[in-house]
Amino acid sequence: MTVEETVKSIAARILRKPDLDFGPAATFKDFGADSLDIVQILVAVEDAYDIELDEDELQNVTDVAGFVSYVERKVGEKG
Amino acid sequence: MPLKGRVALVTGGSRGIGRAITLKLAEQGADVVINYFRKRSTAQLTAQEAQGKGVTACTIKANVGEPEQIGRMFDEIETRFGRLDILVNNAASGVARTALELDDRGWDWTMDINARAFLLCVQRAARLMKNGGKIVSISSLGARMVWPIYTAVGVSKAALEALTRYLAIELAPKGICVNGVSASAVESEALRMYVADQGLAESFWQTTPAGRMVRQEDIASVVAFLCSDDSIMIRGQIIVIDGGLSLSPISPTAREDRQGDEHGRP
Repeated sequence: MTVEETVKSIAARILRKPDLDFGPAATFKDFGADSLDIVQILVAVEDAYDIELDEDELQNVTDVAGFVSYVERKVGEKG
Repeated sequence: MPLKGRVALVTGGSRGIGRAITLKLAEQGADVVINYFRKRSTAQLTAQEAQGKGVTACTIKANVGEPEQIGRMFDEIETRFGRLDILVNNAASGVARTALELDDRGWDWTMDINARAFLLCVQRAARLMKNGGKIVSISSLGARMVWPIYTAVGVSKAALEALTRYLAIELAPKGICVNGVSASAVESEALRMYVADQGLAESFWQTTPAGRMVRQEDIASVVAFLCSDDSIMIRGQIIVIDGGLSLSPISPTAREDRQGDEHGRP
């Protein structure tokens, strides 16, 4: 499963939207995510890949595509 | 080294107030188990600092809002140490909303981590405290006072304080002392995250009779005392650590140009 597919699966579960489909420049808030949803998504992604996501670095992430790229980078750094 | 040889679990013990408590207990000789939720690297740094004080320190990842993760955490403690002498229930989270904006998920998230986790941790901890023990809950003045968008956390802390009293009586025959500490706003990362409006944080020291905000170390010192044999006759109490704030919210001694030294002296 790719990082994008994993993130999509996690977000769909937490946001309770099984048919969630990311479009270009979509944000989690576009799908109704609140701050608690976003924390839960971050935690689930961290657990899925055994990585740590940095809040400061995430400040520069503006959309889902950027988040997927960021997670891919962290997964790559882990090796 | 009043706590030498004791085994202590500090939930949320890797950073902020929890870190200060972890290091204080280690300084007093306790071996420390540092529970953390997300930041393994931060927890490991705190463990290294504790080890530098000559004690054993380990980290356990667990979201205390999830009962099965609490179970796994205590399984690991039991396997590794075979007992527990001190539990500091510090881990906390919360949704910052007004009462009318709170939804059931935010309410449950906050209550599960701040109040239910205390009950579940104590249930497991008590079984490991075969020779008695010390339990300390970390509350906040928001349990009794009303702060902006603090509804869920304040109510969860009120539940925590009530549970502290009930547990103190129920566990007294087992030689387990249960108490809590309640702090006003503490200079911490959590406060900075919670209160985007810095004017609110500043208002705390301006109105604190002691002349400065409460620091993490102030909390840690009182927790260490409650974990020591010296506090044996204190049961079910919530010790307020607020520099006098709750007694005098509009302090005649507090002025905008007054910032006290370490001891609150002008």
